[in-house]
Amino acid sequence: MEVMWHASSFLLPQPQPQEPREDAPPPPPAALTYALIVLNQRLPRFAPLLWNRAQLRVCADGGANRVYDDMPKLFPDQDPQEVRLRYTPDVIKGDLDSIRDDVKEFYLNLGVRIVDESHDQDTTDLHKCVAYVSGSAPVEDKSKLCILVVGALGGRFDHEIGNINVLHRFSNLRIVLLSDDCLIHLLPKTHSHVIHVQLPVEGPHCGLIPIGAPSARTSTTGLQWNLSDTAMSFGGLISTSNVVKEDKVTVSSDADLIWTISIKKPIKE
Amino acid sequence: MVSRLVQNTKVMKHAATFLLPSSAVSATNRLAQTYALVVLNQQIPKFTPLLWSHAKLRICADGGANRIFDGVPKLFPDQNQLNIQHRYVPNVIKGDMDSIRPEVHQFYAELGSEIIDDSENQDTNDLHKCISFIQEQTSAFDHSNFCTLVTGALGGRFDHEAANLNALYVFSDMRIVLLSDDCQIRLLPKTHQHEIHIQSTVEGPHCGLFPIGGPSVSTTTTGLTWDLCNSEMKFGSMISTSNKVREEKVTVCSDADLLWTISLKTPIHMGLTC
Repeated sequence: MEVMWHASSFLLPQPQPQEPREDAPPPPPAALTYALIVLNQRLPRFAPLLWNRAQLRVCADGGANRVYDDMPKLFPDQDPQEVRLRYTPDVIKGDLDSIRDDVKEFYLNLGVRIVDESHDQDTTDLHKCVAYVSGSAPVEDKSKLCILVVGALGGRFDHEIGNINVLHRFSNLRIVLLSDDCLIHLLPKTHSHVIHVQLPVEGPHCGLIPIGAPSARTSTTGLQWNLSDTAMSFGGLISTSNVVKEDKVTVSSDADLIWTISIKKPIKE
Repeated sequence: MVSRLVQNTKVMKHAATFLLPSSAVSATNRLAQTYALVVLNQQIPKFTPLLWSHAKLRICADGGANRIFDGVPKLFPDQNQLNIQHRYVPNVIKGDMDSIRPEVHQFYAELGSEIIDDSENQDTNDLHKCISFIQEQTSAFDHSNFCTLVTGALGGRFDHEAANLNALYVFSDMRIVLLSDDCQIRLLPKTHQHEIHIQSTVEGPHCGLFPIGGPSVSTTTTGLTWDLCNSEMKFGSMISTSNKVREEKVTVCSDADLLWTISLKTPIHMGLTC
């Protein structure tokens, strides 16, 4: 089975160039291209870090209000308008029933593309944005694209579940949902997984959750309570309040699993 | 499959009358319920005093005691804070006691709260332990008339939230409702057909049905804007989110356990004089 690797290096400050060392570990897998989608909830405190990593930034409807209102708050000693000009999305997309008029006008005047999709009531805002990013991102090989999403967790539960279902519907894409407290992403059953835990910024609390269908057999290494061909299901065992013990965690399963890991506070830019 | 659904003639009725002030609940509307309240360690919803007033048994899970101690007085800013703290004393505080502040522990212990230290049991999460406790305490009651209300189960760390959702499945023979400021969640077990009597002054219209434990081959509903009719639901494909209640009574019949969620209207009028 093919191996899929994961690393939350988007949470690290930009790496500094270093002299190569004799004992240096092998170079990491080829760098990913990041896109950022902002949904309509308060921005996490590390949103600027993600923004700076991303090559494409999309606001889903009221996510534009959040960027407009919250980015200046993350830079309290700077002029709010200057912050807004620095953090201008590339596209605002969705049914546009949440974006404020003043926010819409501000971004229109800056030339931001605003796409009204209110005719399409069949898919959620996140679904529309992921489809757009997947089609538009400046990367030919989709396995090198990683879509970071803020504002997908918390709030109305049906929105949160709808957002998790987007991970399942686009299971061939790397999509990471982030909040101030944690991140989640899918580990598709089609691959075995290697997770390089970025210990300065994430962990130690973690979990593996079989959302949508039970697992008859899951095995892990690198956790405090490893699984060994263990069955997991709602109504039975699911792996929560687990702890990463090593900086490399492996997971292989017969079912799609949601991996979650806590984010350490504070994340420094 | 069709014959199995026809055999599920047992009907389970649901009504969020705990969101109404006691005085507003009419005799015909009310499904006689005895309530317990479990407070987990997250910011309490603004209507927590209303839930407290309905509950016969009030349990704080460890740091949930801090949340009552700090949070309830803030909901009554014009009242004497110490008086409020004396009025809202949990019956039980249970957990591994690594989050409750020492002064909060002492305050409630002196006022008669039963403190149950669980720290030797690391196998299950706080909510599971509290529900087990309630199950033991209420074995004499008819479980169909007993309902456990839970605050603080959603948000925060996702693995905690998943463990709390799992409690609904593990204790599927008990009525448990998870509540936040935004919404409520309950399990609709596949063993029953369900009637949900919508309290439209306090809940709706946004709702959803999710097969998180496993797919549904056939689910049928009435009373929703986008009703399901022998519809298949599974993750990776169609699940019912951003639906809306259209009638005062919603019915759900499914071959799979489903989570039902409905939004809450704010503010919830608590009708309390405190």
